[in-house]
Amino acid sequence: MSYAATYRLGTRLFWRDRAMLFASVITPVGLSVGLPTLMRHVTADGVTAATQLSQGTTSILLSITAFMNVAVALTARRDQLVLKRLRATGLTDGQILTGQIASTATQTMILIAVCTVAVRLLADVPFPANPLVFAGAVVAGSVVLATLGVAYTAVIPRTELAAAATMPVFLLAAIATGVMGPIRDVLPAWVGSTLDLLPTSAVVHAIRTGEVALPALNLAVWAVVGVVAIRLWFRWEPRRS
Amino acid sequence: MTAIRVEDLRKSYGDFAAVKGISFEVADGEIFALLGRNGAGKTTTIELLAGFQQPDGGTCRVLGLDPARDRAAVRRRTGIMLQEAGFFQDLTVAQTVDTWRDFTAAPRPRDEALELAGLLPKAATRVRQLSGGEKRRLDLALALLGRPDVLFLDEPTTGMDPEARRNTWDVVRELAGQGTTILLTTHYLDEAQRLAASMAIMDAGEIVASGGMAETLAARSGRVAFRLPPGTSPADLPLPVTLEGETAVCRAADPDLAAQTLLSWAAERGLRLAGLEVRTATLEDLFLDMSGSHR
Repeated sequence: MSYAATYRLGTRLFWRDRAMLFASVITPVGLSVGLPTLMRHVTADGVTAATQLSQGTTSILLSITAFMNVAVALTARRDQLVLKRLRATGLTDGQILTGQIASTATQTMILIAVCTVAVRLLADVPFPANPLVFAGAVVAGSVVLATLGVAYTAVIPRTELAAAATMPVFLLAAIATGVMGPIRDVLPAWVGSTLDLLPTSAVVHAIRTGEVALPALNLAVWAVVGVVAIRLWFRWEPRRS
Repeated sequence: MTAIRVEDLRKSYGDFAAVKGISFEVADGEIFALLGRNGAGKTTTIELLAGFQQPDGGTCRVLGLDPARDRAAVRRRTGIMLQEAGFFQDLTVAQTVDTWRDFTAAPRPRDEALELAGLLPKAATRVRQLSGGEKRRLDLALALLGRPDVLFLDEPTTGMDPEARRNTWDVVRELAGQGTTILLTTHYLDEAQRLAASMAIMDAGEIVASGGMAETLAARSGRVAFRLPPGTSPADLPLPVTLEGETAVCRAADPDLAAQTLLSWAAERGLRLAGLEVRTATLEDLFLDMSGSHR
């Protein structure tokens, strides 16, 4: 009952914050639909390039809609002492955070699904060859990125810095999956290999290749990192100083 | 039955000892006031009782449960009005209460909670548009939602207008009448004196006075004050007084009797005791004595 309540709350607040919707819905959806559509119509081998790019843009939705959104929202709620008020109810800490993570992950999955249909219609990008692996990767990736976003609030000192603090994660995720064009190709090889360790890279790799084992292992490790970091460092109230 | 039992409770933040080994008990259905200056340790005490913080030493029990260990269980049976906590600014008052009802087992109906807090006319207003006092009332509505057995009220009427404050007092009395145990902190000593049956005064993390409100005040001396008539000195008076500027102050267990003695002394000499003021001990006298002398 209470998990459902915090899930509903997270969802309601997600769609209610207009300013945030621009950052966490319009921008990533615009990029994820716009870039492949552009690629389809300006390059010779349009469909192949658009497909490659579209698969890569999943990392944008994961790093913005799941990771950034939850990190910014929870930092604001922490600093406004709303999390403290939620803890004054009969809810457990686990119910508060799990409901939020599930809600953020669901919105991310919905947007990825919408973008998948949109690029099919606008850029002739075929539906995923292996729908099961695609679905599994998107679900697991959304949950893991939302969990990591919750953990990441521990290093954000205050609300105004939250969006800026999540930017590097978005940039790295996008470069790693080739969304930023050929930047990745001019970087040293070891940087590329390191970027492949990101959870967003694992999701895109699974979508592109249909491979399961390595991406699953990668996401499992990141999930553990996220949960352990939350247990150790998550702050429910702003620092008193 | 004892609803809240605190024994030798201690809490420090770094080098700063916020609560230094306090003990008190609150009986079932009693209204208990915890008083003290800013920084005396009142809010820390409430946060320990509500399980927001772990004590460094000593024990506290709420309804027989350890709030640090059984936080969720304690919270299901307690309501808290925090001194400082945020709301979701974009939700309306009604939506906020509905959201909190979702978190609460067997909650009061929304309108009943809003009615109790005197907020029904503001149901459709967004939280960001509420005044400070109205936000306190919303806080109260949320604290009452789960029909708690124990209610913690940290500065409940701060920022409220006089009418809202009286309304809140009525609600608090009514709840206590129904058996709810209430622990409140307040800066308004008249509020504590009107509401609470027992109290403790905290200063610098320690309890410097505690007991039943009526007995404690009855044991204190009252006060007769007047301007010293021209041409007289304190030594001429029939009772010992101290001078506070122009004003002579006589402290006495029975201030009415002292006033009569002084008035007949003045009448015999054809003198007037201008600005005469007679009052029994108030919580404010006690508070100023206690939290001042302790330093």
